[in-house]
Amino acid sequence: MPALLTVSGATRRFGGVYALRDVDLDVAPGETHAVIGPNGAGKSTLFKLIGGQLVATAGTIAYDGERIDRLAPHRRARRGIAIAFQDSPVFRGMSVAENVMVGAHAITSAGPMSAILRLPRHRREETRIRGLAAQALDRAGLSPWADQPAESLPLGRQRALQVARALCGAPRLLLLDEPASGLRGPERSALAALIEQLRGEGLSILLVEHDVAFVARLADRVTVLDLGQVIASGPFAEIRTDSAVVAAYLGGPT
Amino acid sequence: MKWAYAVAAVGALVLPVVLAPGQLTVFILLGLSAMAVVGLSLLMGYAGQVSLGQAAFTALGAYTSGLLSLHHAPPLLALVAAPVAAALAAVVVGVPILRLRGHQLAFATLALQILLLSVLSGAQWAGGAVGLQGLPYLSVGGFELDQDLDYAYLVVGGVLLVSLIAHRLVHSRVGRGLRALATGEMAAEASGVPVGAYRLLVFAVSAAFAGLAGGIYCFFLGYLAPGSFPVLLSIEYVVMAVVGGLGSIAGALLGAALITVVVQLLTSLATQPGMPSYAPSVLSYAVYALLLIAVVLFVPKGIVPTLRRSL
Ligand SMILES: Nc1ncnc2c1ncn2[C@@H]1O[C@H](COP(=O)(O)OP(=O)(O)OP(=O)(O)O)[C@@H](O)[C@H]1O
Ligand SMILES: [Mg+2]
Repeated sequence: MPALLTVSGATRRFGGVYALRDVDLDVAPGETHAVIGPNGAGKSTLFKLIGGQLVATAGTIAYDGERIDRLAPHRRARRGIAIAFQDSPVFRGMSVAENVMVGAHAITSAGPMSAILRLPRHRREETRIRGLAAQALDRAGLSPWADQPAESLPLGRQRALQVARALCGAPRLLLLDEPASGLRGPERSALAALIEQLRGEGLSILLVEHDVAFVARLADRVTVLDLGQVIASGPFAEIRTDSAVVAAYLGGPT
Repeated sequence: MKWAYAVAAVGALVLPVVLAPGQLTVFILLGLSAMAVVGLSLLMGYAGQVSLGQAAFTALGAYTSGLLSLHHAPPLLALVAAPVAAALAAVVVGVPILRLRGHQLAFATLALQILLLSVLSGAQWAGGAVGLQGLPYLSVGGFELDQDLDYAYLVVGGVLLVSLIAHRLVHSRVGRGLRALATGEMAAEASGVPVGAYRLLVFAVSAAFAGLAGGIYCFFLGYLAPGSFPVLLSIEYVVMAVVGGLGSIAGALLGAALITVVVQLLTSLATQPGMPSYAPSVLSYAVYALLLIAVVLFVPKGIVPTLRRSL
């Protein structure tokens, strides 16, 4: 089966520093692919190249058989790529449910006129968006807080909120950048269970996570980045014994 | 908050009947400012952009209505053309500017207004510095609006229309996208929100509101001059929006009302015998500056959002 996402030769420089250098990576349909590596390895940079938040210095990104590296981020979202960022705050001044509803933007299209005139199309889509959001909130375990201001949630739940927002757009490729950071034991296993469930539904997932047990449980394949370069790639069982990986990451001070 | 809306509604309906003629004019001008400020508040609150030349769109709307009616266009058409022309101008200005970050829009709109004023002052077809005179009254279906009272209610209707449009826009898919991009542009865009297009949309909507106010102004006064739309008016709009609370429709209305009343009081003070002729404008600049500083220091979110929070 052809890959859903293919990153080839991705390079990103910040001034003189290479955050990412000649990175190849692909995600097969239905695969959960983890990206691990020490702090500053370039994991978030890679995600932002895929999402379009950063422009690559060199390299190409293909999704569903087409190059997407010149597309604006919102267009990539409409193709089915959703991201829960590591460092993005929730939307302030909006409820938890409204935050999640924003995620449905990618799969809806009612414009300003239908909103101002309250056309049937607006009503239909509002109903649909509410349904999608309720579902996403439920899956992320956030239903009890739906009507609270998003910024009042504790940080762990704000992370879960990002995941719910991404899910609300019914993506085909879900990028999760350290979704478990700041989560406590039970929340962490609930998130792992959710990711497992999503994988079972055939969703393709690209996951950055520092928790090795979390990665071992969930990932079909793991790509290890260090100093912006891929130093190993393969099933977890293979890369865990790789000497370069052990030296750079797994054997490190973590 | 419910009672506040009730008070405002009763006030808007009863005041035109009980106000003295001079006060009625103030009431109408207040309503026109409120229309422009509702739009500006959306722009500043949701697109994170300041327009320091928003009165340029009021002027554009007014001159569009004025010129069209002088050339015998049906008055209603001339009125409708005002917001359309203003919105089109906003799109033309906004497309190159809104791509940039920071405060380019503030400077671009300010430049636009200064440019527009100097073009209007020099252009013969626009009456030059004297402006357009002898403009007809607005008439709808044979009914001519020739009383101040008519315009007072027209303006109340205009404020309602503009508020309704803004409210419906904010509470919709597009509105959620707008609110999201105000505090989380990256995540909003990654959720499919076309950030640039939405910014342009709010800018155009805000210009249309200002343009509509200009159109009504043109029919109400019956004459137009570049001097009716000074940069001070744009600054007044900004102060009104900030004082009331950005992104709040009720705040925009309250801000407009509050500032208008304060400025009226000051003007009557400044035009006392013995005051120099420049007193009114110096005083209003000073008051805008003081109010802006006071709000930024003590109620940085503006009055209405702060009240909402503490209720
Ligand atoms: N906007 C930026 N400007 C300059 N340098 C940047 C920028 N973003 C990232 N970098 C640099 O690029 C490198 C990779 O950063 P990145 O955030 O991708 O790492 P990461 O693997 O996600 O790390 P972490 O595990 O801490 O999240 C780092 O050296 C970082 O300092
Ligand atoms: Mg990172």
